[in-house]
Amino acid sequence: MKTRHVMLLVMILLLSATVANAAEDKYEFKNAERAQTFKELTLELRCPKCQNQNIADSDAVVAKDLRDKVVALVQEGNSKQEVIDYMIDRYGYFVHYQPPVTPATIILWVLPVVIVVLGFGFIVFRQKKASKKQQWSAADDERLEQLIAQYQRKERQQ
Amino acid sequence: MNRKILGFLPFLIFVLLCVFLYQGLFGNPRELQTGRLGQTMPSFNLPDLMDENKRWTEKELLGEVYLMNVWGTWCPTCIAELGYLTKLREQGVKIVGLYYEQAYDPDFGDHFDINALREEVDTMLSRAGNPYQFNILDLERSLALDLGVSGAPETFLVDKEGTILLHHTGDINQRVWRNKFLPALEELQP
Repeated sequence: MKTRHVMLLVMILLLSATVANAAEDKYEFKNAERAQTFKELTLELRCPKCQNQNIADSDAVVAKDLRDKVVALVQEGNSKQEVIDYMIDRYGYFVHYQPPVTPATIILWVLPVVIVVLGFGFIVFRQKKASKKQQWSAADDERLEQLIAQYQRKERQQ
Repeated sequence: MNRKILGFLPFLIFVLLCVFLYQGLFGNPRELQTGRLGQTMPSFNLPDLMDENKRWTEKELLGEVYLMNVWGTWCPTCIAELGYLTKLREQGVKIVGLYYEQAYDPDFGDHFDINALREEVDTMLSRAGNPYQFNILDLERSLALDLGVSGAPETFLVDKEGTILLHHTGDINQRVWRNKFLPALEELQP
């Protein structure tokens, strides 16, 4: 049990190390907070040239330009949101992994909720229906008795 | 009857999902890029590719409708479209080149020589056709970043007031010109 925990810890540490080393090695920041902002931004901003890579991950020229620009903006003291707005202003919403909430994209948030609600509704509906079927009344009892008696009589006659 | 329809519902959802995802295979996500569309040309002050003493600013480009074509001799598609762009120039379209340089950046090239580059551009343009009134040299790709350029070739259509009307990613050919640029130009000249 103990070795398993240690193994798990080592695995988590290894994973986080690769992520952390991905981008910020080359750049130096005044404080840890800005370095953290830069790291978050390079993971959240999408390379406009590539199909699906963030700018920390990509070797494309434009990804390097965006990284450099993010560094410059962060070093000037811009907040994370200010940098994101700066990039969206130039590259459109494509550049940020989080889509904006607009009438066209609201379905992304609403649809999962609707599906979950419908699913639970369906389960509840079915259970109610099933429990209704299993209702057993005195009349049913009587009918059962009758049927049993009928068959027993038949058997005796044979 | 009602139950039958209900039974078909999962299948129907599956088919709809297939149609949606199949469509996605052919969509170009980069077309969602809006960036600078409808905004005015960002301000810049950059040298001419052929003469570092000549500097260009966005103000000098006002007053005429023009295309700004982002290109580089390192980019095969850009070379391929030079011929068609030259034809457009002969028809009276004003085309300004924005030279997108990579080798200047130590990350992407080990040495940069402006004279060698000028020579290379000259040879290339005399061979494939020269569509450009002039070329703006964007060594640090700062104007490219301000325009939301992600690579080359890319082309912007800018009107007399400096408003960016179109941002096209990829090469310009007859089909693109007819379907995308001509309608936008016709809207300008009623």
